Amino acid sequence: MSGVESPASSDPAEALAAVTALRRLADRIEDAAVEQAMRAGWSWPQVAEALGVTRQAVHKKHAQRLIAAGVALRRR
Amino acid sequence: MTTFGKYIHAIIQQGRDEARKDGSAAVEAQHLLLAIAIEQEATTHQVLTSAGLDLRAIRDALDREFERSLSAVGVSAAAFDLPMPSSAPERPQRLGASARLAIERGFTSAARKKDLQPMNLLIGILQAEVGTVPHALSLAGTDRAGLAERARQALAGTGG
Repeated sequence: MSGVESPASSDPAEALAAVTALRRLADRIEDAAVEQAMRAGWSWPQVAEALGVTRQAVHKKHAQRLIAAGVALRRR
Repeated sequence: MTTFGKYIHAIIQQGRDEARKDGSAAVEAQHLLLAIAIEQEATTHQVLTSAGLDLRAIRDALDREFERSLSAVGVSAAAFDLPMPSSAPERPQRLGASARLAIERGFTSAARKKDLQPMNLLIGILQAEVGTVPHALSLAGTDRAGLAERARQALAGTGG
């Protein structure tokens, strides 16, 4: 046993592929989590604050999709 | 529009469908590859299936690449038990960096613009040595460079 790092995690190709996959997973979790929060009655400012982004950013990224999905969105 | 122009247009449209299903904000090279597999144009279909790459195999290879890349850093895609998010109402318009590179490489793989064939786009995708598509093909045990060479040979055989 030479250490805790697996061979895969010291390979830059694997690490770069992991970054791509993590971004994709983070986007997918964000889409799902924002949708669940808004369905549960959260407001845009609450979701924005939880994500650490502006209300405008979260609205721009998710509003169209949630409206199309029929989610009842709270005003401010 | 030329035959190749129509083909690439159809592939990009199909790629946009794949990107939307994938929850992606842009069309990437893997979406173009899936589109080529869906389109089943005769020459590209022959080259892909000769390597066992039908639509199902490509989707499986991409899914495995996602899982393996995450597990390399100790993450499981199934760790969050949230319902699947609703899809975007519209398909993404934007071509991502990997798709743009694949198209550029496809174009430069033909000597003259009028020689462009559907196979050139597949060659452009297969030329990438790093990124999601080559990583997925490698994990699936596909010889990407050999496949790219076979695609070039098939193209030369048709006088393209």
